[in-house]
Amino acid sequence: MSAPRLVTRALVTSFLTVALVLGAVFAVLSLRVRDQVRQSVADNLASAQQVFTRVESRRQQDMRASVAILAENPTLKAALDTWLTERNGANAEASSELLATVQREADKIAGHVAADVLAVVDGSHRVVASGGRLASAWPRGTIMGGIADDVSPTEGAVSVGSGMYHVVSVPLQLGDATVGSLELGTALDSRYARELAELSRGDAAILSRGAVLASTVSGPAARDLAELHEWDTSAARTVTLAGESWAIQPLSQLGDVSFIALASIDRAAGGQTQAALRGLAWVGLGAISLAVIGSVWLARTLTNPIDRLSRSLTAMTTHARARDAVPLSGTSRELDQLTTTFNSLLASLASAEAEAEATYLGAVRALAAALDARDPYTAGHSERVSILVVAMGEELELDSETKETLRLGALLHDIGKIGVPDEVLRKSGALSAAEFEAIKTHPSAGARILRSIPFLAPHIPMVELHHERPDGLGYPYGLRGDEIPLAARIVHVADAFDAMTSARAYRTGRMPVEAIAELRRCVGSDFDGRSVEALIAALPRLVAADAPVDPMAFQWAPRARSA
Amino acid sequence: MTPLRHLRRLRRGRLPLPIVATLITAALVVWQPRSEVLGQSAVGRITGTVKLTLANSAPSSASAYERRSVGPRPKPLSELKNVVIFFSDLPATKPAPMQASIAQKDEQFAPHLVAVTAGSSVAFPNEDPFFHNVFSLSRGAAFNLGRYPSGSSRSKTFNRAGIIKVFCEIHSHMSAVIRVFDHGWFTVPNEDGTYTVDGVPPGDHTLVAWHERIGERRDRVTIRSGAAAQMNFTLPVLEPEQ
Repeated sequence: MSAPRLVTRALVTSFLTVALVLGAVFAVLSLRVRDQVRQSVADNLASAQQVFTRVESRRQQDMRASVAILAENPTLKAALDTWLTERNGANAEASSELLATVQREADKIAGHVAADVLAVVDGSHRVVASGGRLASAWPRGTIMGGIADDVSPTEGAVSVGSGMYHVVSVPLQLGDATVGSLELGTALDSRYARELAELSRGDAAILSRGAVLASTVSGPAARDLAELHEWDTSAARTVTLAGESWAIQPLSQLGDVSFIALASIDRAAGGQTQAALRGLAWVGLGAISLAVIGSVWLARTLTNPIDRLSRSLTAMTTHARARDAVPLSGTSRELDQLTTTFNSLLASLASAEAEAEATYLGAVRALAAALDARDPYTAGHSERVSILVVAMGEELELDSETKETLRLGALLHDIGKIGVPDEVLRKSGALSAAEFEAIKTHPSAGARILRSIPFLAPHIPMVELHHERPDGLGYPYGLRGDEIPLAARIVHVADAFDAMTSARAYRTGRMPVEAIAELRRCVGSDFDGRSVEALIAALPRLVAADAPVDPMAFQWAPRARSA
Repeated sequence: MTPLRHLRRLRRGRLPLPIVATLITAALVVWQPRSEVLGQSAVGRITGTVKLTLANSAPSSASAYERRSVGPRPKPLSELKNVVIFFSDLPATKPAPMQASIAQKDEQFAPHLVAVTAGSSVAFPNEDPFFHNVFSLSRGAAFNLGRYPSGSSRSKTFNRAGIIKVFCEIHSHMSAVIRVFDHGWFTVPNEDGTYTVDGVPPGDHTLVAWHERIGERRDRVTIRSGAAAQMNFTLPVLEPEQ
């Protein structure tokens, strides 16, 4: 598993940062939203309470006023009083006609007031007639529970039948006597709770001694509400119903009956939080894209120079040599410093390498010189071959690197002769077969020696194969034609030319013209044609150049001949 | 009823028919409720007092309006004046018609109650400076005298016994009650609660004290000729209904 790229790392880091910040902002925001929602829900309920108080007291006042006016109904009073008197009479049966009149008047009044039920009640709280929507709940003869210790003697919560009613009572008076009363009942049922809920813009509940008479709350919250016994309905508070937080605001109190408005904070907060989340999502999207753009830009300005640096390093390690200096990126001081340091390191490395090569080269030259010195006849042979092959390389238009390889390779081509005994090497007579075999080992021996020096690896073919022939009769491997590297063929030609023009203990050197003729004669069998032609082309230039070479080294030159 | 009972008593004595007939005639002459008979002490008298232990239900303070009144509020008549004492089981006679009056003053009927004999007429003079109306829904005596202005008066004759409740359709809080009897043995107590009914035929009778809202109290009373019986009433008799 390799380490992640810098771009990836920058992206991940910036993304995580943004996500962290967004998360924190969301947490803070949702807490704040919740707090504000709690406050606003409570405020809503409180204002709803004020509205309710006003509306409700106004409503009751209006109702009482209108009923008081309606109660001044002479027909109703006359019929009721006459009926009551006749009912109490000793031997008279109460007239059903009178009762019908009372009923008719009650219906008429009920049509004029906004009450669920209107009842005409006698002095002993017995319903004589009733009208209105819920008249059937208050049939004739129903005994109305007294209004106990309530808002006023004429208003309160009264239990009639199975229901609870908010009752406003208006007396029916004849002179100083009260013959009965008009009772206006508003049923404290779910319908009334719904009206309350509309006023409070939330939910509403009607409670009596801890029991829920009616409420607009549904589901499990309603169950919890019913089970919530300890009611302190005098102050606003927060309770938990079905796992949700609810704000409760008392609206009013009517005897034992409490009216409360309630609203789910969680439900309200949910919407608000969602709205805030939506806003936050847009902000987050923007922040993330900005972060991505920023981090990509940052990574590019950082990673590109680093990339170049690392590529240079890679190239250096694979080719074991320094290339050109890395250009300064100019993106940051640190990077430029790093690049400069790297460049100077490269430079010092290059110089150290050059120095090492020079040292090696010196050592190799010394080795070659020592080899040449073993036989005075072959003295300077390696140097001459070296000059020849470089000149031939120029004729063949080889690049400078190859020519450099040629030069050093030529210098070392006979290094393997170190292992050939002096008596064989210096023998002036004809060599025996065994002696010749000993001579033939020198390319392989040279290659073996050079293999221990890594930077001489490119020169090994010239050393090892410079006695191979195009016709396959060479040694040590008997390679043919193009199987032999060009460098080895060049060295072979140059070696042969120098050997022919050099004097030996047993013969004098031939003239270059003869040697060239000999070379040309053996093109294809012993020598490579291109190399021979290159040598022929290079020779005049070498002689005319008046190069600073040892005159002794070039016996084949005309000047040397005259000397 | 009463003459028949006497007849039966006479029969128990197994008297000869002519004597019986003579006695009956004599009795009928004797029990004729006339003033000269009272002087001969052939009839009895009932006296007593009426006491109210419970005033009529207290006026509510929650009336929609203050009671309107033109002028200083007159001292209300004692509630005792709204009680009638009468015998409930004496035979119907043909009592002389009476003249009664219920004034309409300060938006009240005054007096609140009158007791009259059948055939009597009751006048309703309007003594307020505005219109009044008199009507009744009572059984068998429903009437409406219409609206009439200040200073004028209308009257109504009541021929049948019963309770007639009278109202004003303009002022719904006004009410009065008229008791019409087909005999003359009734009275309304004095302000101090004492009452007297003269010329009552001897015998066991039921005496009733009646108030329109409190109700009535009945008691048996024995009247002897020339003697005064005593019967005190304590109202109310309104039993708790719950």
